[in-house]
Amino acid sequence: MSTVAARGDSALGRAGAWARRAPLLPALIFMIIVTQLPFLVTLVVSFMNWNAYYPNDRGFAGLDNFQSVLTDVNARKAILVTVLLTVGVVLISLILGLIVALLLDRKFRGRSIARTLMITPFLVVPVAAALLWKHALYNPEYGLLNGLLRGIFGDSAPQKDWITDNPLISIVVALVWQWTPFMMLILLAGLQSRPMDVVEAARIDGASSWQIFRNMTLPHLRPYIELSGLLGAIYVVQNFDAVFTITSGGLGTANLPYFIYQTFYTAHDYGRASAAGVVVVIGTIIIATFALRTVLSLFQEESR
Amino acid sequence: MQTNLSTKTRNWMAVASIPVMIWTAIPLLWILATSLKGTDALADPTKNSFGNFWPKDPTLENYRVIFTGGASDLFNPALRNSIIVCLVATLISVILAMFCAYAISRLDFPGKKLILTTALAVSFFPVIAMVTPLFNLWRQVGLFDTIPGLIIPYLALTLPLSIWTLSAFFQQIPWEMEQAAQVDGATSWQAFRKVIAPLAAPGVFTTAIIAFFTAWNDFVFSSNLTSSNNSRTVPAALAFFTGASQFTQPTGAIAAAAVIVTIPVVILVLLFQRRIVAGLTSGAVKG
Repeated sequence: MSTVAARGDSALGRAGAWARRAPLLPALIFMIIVTQLPFLVTLVVSFMNWNAYYPNDRGFAGLDNFQSVLTDVNARKAILVTVLLTVGVVLISLILGLIVALLLDRKFRGRSIARTLMITPFLVVPVAAALLWKHALYNPEYGLLNGLLRGIFGDSAPQKDWITDNPLISIVVALVWQWTPFMMLILLAGLQSRPMDVVEAARIDGASSWQIFRNMTLPHLRPYIELSGLLGAIYVVQNFDAVFTITSGGLGTANLPYFIYQTFYTAHDYGRASAAGVVVVIGTIIIATFALRTVLSLFQEESR
Repeated sequence: MQTNLSTKTRNWMAVASIPVMIWTAIPLLWILATSLKGTDALADPTKNSFGNFWPKDPTLENYRVIFTGGASDLFNPALRNSIIVCLVATLISVILAMFCAYAISRLDFPGKKLILTTALAVSFFPVIAMVTPLFNLWRQVGLFDTIPGLIIPYLALTLPLSIWTLSAFFQQIPWEMEQAAQVDGATSWQAFRKVIAPLAAPGVFTTAIIAFFTAWNDFVFSSNLTSSNNSRTVPAALAFFTGASQFTQPTGAIAAAAVIVTIPVVILVLLFQRRIVAGLTSGAVKG
């Protein structure tokens, strides 16, 4: 449709088209300046020896910063934690999101209430959600989890110090709670775009529910699963809020963004922090390339 | 398949969704309950009903703490800053994105796909890699800990998102109507203002809400680029909450503040749901 309109335009005159291309410029220029300029600075600094504690040593460092980021014990640990956190959160919330989406795709009593409830965790401000899990649920004295144990097993119930005992799992659970609705929303959209007449035909031909799910629903959902997983991964890789508020990066939960924060503000090693930043960007670009491909293929399918 | 479900299966589905509701609703209810508990009820389970869940005598003590009490000098300015920064950032990014999306969906020119891809790629850009150079730059040019110093990086978050969402909306608008108006003698500006703008309004509104939501939730920029009440926003202020003394946990106050900052988002989304329906029905004008 838009191509038809555009062809009409070129008939009206190219000058007009050029004049209307101008509105693109302010937004584009601004976007590129704000997001790409800082990255260029990061890129330059990542090749420099720049520590605020040693102002006289500032100079070109070559690949030293990258080498130290990839060999330093803490940095390596941070990379590992980032991978564990991302894979854990994305996989669990994808599976839960798929189950919930399948459930909400059916008609049943109270469906709209269930759907609204299901979305709300995504609407809570992320820092507030992380604080909520830290103080109101995991807290050993008056947290909900220990209160629940007391309520079920009486006064002799085991009282765990949840965050100290399982720091990484605590963060994963809190993040899964926030991200499941996101996965659910995308997957539900996918489920509802499924051609129902074909499913109906398969059912009449005697296919079981499991066969329909396995051979028809799942292949149809594949791009949506990929998309929600990749988008989720992009945001969880750069997660800083939950790690900062729940454990303050302690107990072996510092991920790469937190490592950058620490190197920058505590160690004042701008060069190394920037090199770690570049590593995060590269990781995101790799994931994002796949995400972009999925988004564009979905778009093409829709416009067909 | 949907209509063939028997009543029995439907009831069964309703039962199956109960654990789902518990998983999402209990933490939400718990935060509300915690915000209504006084200091004594937080420490003493006997002062609460349903196990340790709901306080026997709910109190607004925590809300008083954050609005007029000990935490008010932290919370009130933060709430003001949050509202100003997010509204201005949303307004600017939606206006800029409107022109941008209009050009993208109206014209067929080389590089169109590249622009959309750039917008999407930029919105994936990790904020943590942007914030450290900005920190040094902002301190040198005097934007550190100021309201404009937050609005500019927030635009970096909201603008790519707005361009992307609005382009998707604008692509569904029946642009032939604009040409019809032009044939009838309207200038392109008149055609845009009188014909297209009313059709585009729901999409613009939805985009504004998504942009506002993104800015409202930001923690990284606000915690790293501010140092005082001059510009610190609510998410950053929440992390700095302390109890009445250094040794008491600020749980009640945090819960109350969390309820306050979540309410605007929930209200916006309720409006947003209605707007989506409006957006869908406006598509019916097409014929």
